[in-house]
Amino acid sequence: MMPSILALMPMLVIGFGALALMLAEVLTDAKTGLAVGTAVVLFTAAAFACAGWMVGPENLGDAAVFAPWLVFDRFTLFFEVLLALSGALAALVAGGYLREHGIDRGEFYAILSFSTLGAMMLAAAGDVLMLFVGLETMSIGAYALAGFRRGSPKSAEGALKYFLLGSFAAALMMFGFALLYGATGHTDLAGLHNALASESLRSPSIVIALALVLAGLAFKVSAVPFHMWTPDAYEGAPTPATAFMAASVKAGGFAVLLRVLLTVFGDERSASWATGWPPVVALLAVLTMTVANLVAGRQESIKRMLAYSSIAHAGYLLVGVVAAIRAPAQAQSAVLFYLATYSVSTIGAFAALVLCGSRGAEVVSYEDLAGLGRRHPAVALPFAFFILSLAGMPPMAGFFGKWFVFKAAMDAGLHGLTVIAFINSVIAAYYYLKVFVFLYMREPAAGAPIAKPMWSGEVVTAIALCAFFVLLLGLAPGAVLDAALAVGGAG
Amino acid sequence: MHVQTYAPMFMLFVAATAIATLFFTLATVLGPSKPSAEKSLPFECGSDSDGAQHVRLSVKFYLTAILFVVFDIESVFVYPWAIQFRSLGWMGLASMMGFLLVILVGLVYAWKKGALEWET
Amino acid sequence: MTIGQVYFYLCAAVALFGALAAVCAKSPVRAALGLLMMVLAVAGLYLSLDAQFLAAIQLIVYAGAIVVLFVFVLMLLGHTPLVGVGDGSPAARILGATGFGAVALAAMILSARNAEPTNFPAALPAGFGSVGEIGRLMFTQTLVPFELSSALLMVAVVGAVAVSKGEKPVIVAAASVLAPPGAAPKPGESQ
Repeated sequence: MMPSILALMPMLVIGFGALALMLAEVLTDAKTGLAVGTAVVLFTAAAFACAGWMVGPENLGDAAVFAPWLVFDRFTLFFEVLLALSGALAALVAGGYLREHGIDRGEFYAILSFSTLGAMMLAAAGDVLMLFVGLETMSIGAYALAGFRRGSPKSAEGALKYFLLGSFAAALMMFGFALLYGATGHTDLAGLHNALASESLRSPSIVIALALVLAGLAFKVSAVPFHMWTPDAYEGAPTPATAFMAASVKAGGFAVLLRVLLTVFGDERSASWATGWPPVVALLAVLTMTVANLVAGRQESIKRMLAYSSIAHAGYLLVGVVAAIRAPAQAQSAVLFYLATYSVSTIGAFAALVLCGSRGAEVVSYEDLAGLGRRHPAVALPFAFFILSLAGMPPMAGFFGKWFVFKAAMDAGLHGLTVIAFINSVIAAYYYLKVFVFLYMREPAAGAPIAKPMWSGEVVTAIALCAFFVLLLGLAPGAVLDAALAVGGAG
Repeated sequence: MHVQTYAPMFMLFVAATAIATLFFTLATVLGPSKPSAEKSLPFECGSDSDGAQHVRLSVKFYLTAILFVVFDIESVFVYPWAIQFRSLGWMGLASMMGFLLVILVGLVYAWKKGALEWET
Repeated sequence: MTIGQVYFYLCAAVALFGALAAVCAKSPVRAALGLLMMVLAVAGLYLSLDAQFLAAIQLIVYAGAIVVLFVFVLMLLGHTPLVGVGDGSPAARILGATGFGAVALAAMILSARNAEPTNFPAALPAGFGSVGEIGRLMFTQTLVPFELSSALLMVAVVGAVAVSKGEKPVIVAAASVLAPPGAAPKPGESQ
């Protein structure tokens, strides 16, 4: 019994932790400790997931009692650690941001915790029913976080677009799974895989099901042309919520995308270049990278630029997914490692952006950054640091993330796709370097409003942790890379 | 196919629809109809009607309605559990209590947040 | 045609009509009533599939609670007819609807023609669809999703509180129930 409890521990800790936070908020006056409390809960969950990893999923034998609903393999455990850490970092950023901007309502932390729990369910789902419960738990939390700033029409607009399109995408995905159920009689992912792999089954409705499921998944990871909601939702949401959506929700989306494409549609026919999803995903990847990078260069708003940047990163990740057709283990590990580097870099960038501004003097456009490097070097430096990592400059985590994904794609023989991805990361350097130009080489126009940095211990802690992870993944990627490879090896 | 089991229910539907249709038809066919400008004015308890045709409701209705949906779904889960209460034994009781505990925290939360209060 | 087939086609026709009305109606309240019609007809279909409990839940939750929620939200928005909503050209909308409709239709026809119900039981298990059997399944086989669905309900509660409580919106609703009548005429209100 013990090992099965250990497998479930990360989810239990977050679930009961979130309930405790809700009660603490309404029954006591402990407003200030909620962010730290949430971070402690999520770090504890990450620690339990690490413990599960040490014990090894093969020794969590009793965890099979949760089958087929929840699958506790290394894939799940990797995502549990990643999601819990991302959630904790976003909660710390929220602690400083919400207080500064006068929207310090405790709902944020409960929603963030439940949404993280939903993303974990999504990563662990072994059945379509569980997948849907996880998807909705994660998404409803994200919709509420996007619309959290009630006073702002932009927040409301972004949240409404996100909600309507997100619900529609979830419905499309369910339609696809319903067709699959009709064709195979299975709702568990393993059973679906076996049924699809059997030669006898060649129902055309499976192709339509695949298209519908793929459209829903592409929406969740905001791949072009399903990205329309992303800039508005990211811009309107409070910045910590944006960081959470860019890191955790995207990671959750990729977890289910990998699970569905590589497990359910991982059979010979569905995963072949001639008759399956790879060309479609490759097209999505090319469109996503190219459109996002070209549009990102034309943005005035920093948050919108970072939103398009996150779309572009989804494109690179999709390149890794396509590479999984020839070298599944290597490509999957590369995608997982990339997700880890991208998550810490993007949360760090948003945290540093929070620190650069204060109430009434936020950083909105590039102009607001002008001269910040000279006036306030201490807050400009972290922002520049994380932007470098997102751009994929060598000593940072982002570089190795890109390196492994591109290498996996090369090894899989996808030369054209790799070249396009490489050209795209060069184009992306333009708008990332623009940040540097404004930070260090421009002065604000006379009389223009200038951003005033804020101070918050929580945000600084989050930035320090993100910077630590960025350097760790950049300078000593060994441990995390081995973990990602172990996932691929096991799967 | 066991729809036939519900034949009495459908007969009730048919009878209700038929009676309603009958009365409306009779009223339309037999009733005198002398429209005038005065008669087609909007009627609001004798006073002249005023203001927009459709008022916007407060967001409080939305919060109440969505809380209702959540607790409605909870009751949907409780019902089959209650039917099987004896055969499920202690394990079933513990499962349901765990679920209800979570929902209870939600209720306390909504209550303390003032989500159930009308005048705020 | 057996009585069962007549019943199926009747329910299916009503459901389709309701769904079309929900999509095509200019007035949002009529659209909501179309949705209600669709929900009722689908409950009728569940009944013919021996899923009595599901049919009852469909009536209680969907017809009773969710459609009511829709109508509330329509009233929050102040229901102006949906004319000129959306900036896409009519051609794009028609093309999109036709394309999606064609795919959906093709999916249905192909699934129906290639139905290979290999994994479906030939005869229904005893007590299928009854409340008691669903209760037994829910607390034995599907216990894990059941317990975890409480997290979904919780995030809905907290999320609803988050988006509807808290600081007041900058743009206060123009004509709330509390405002004096006629104080704030809405655009598009020509009556």
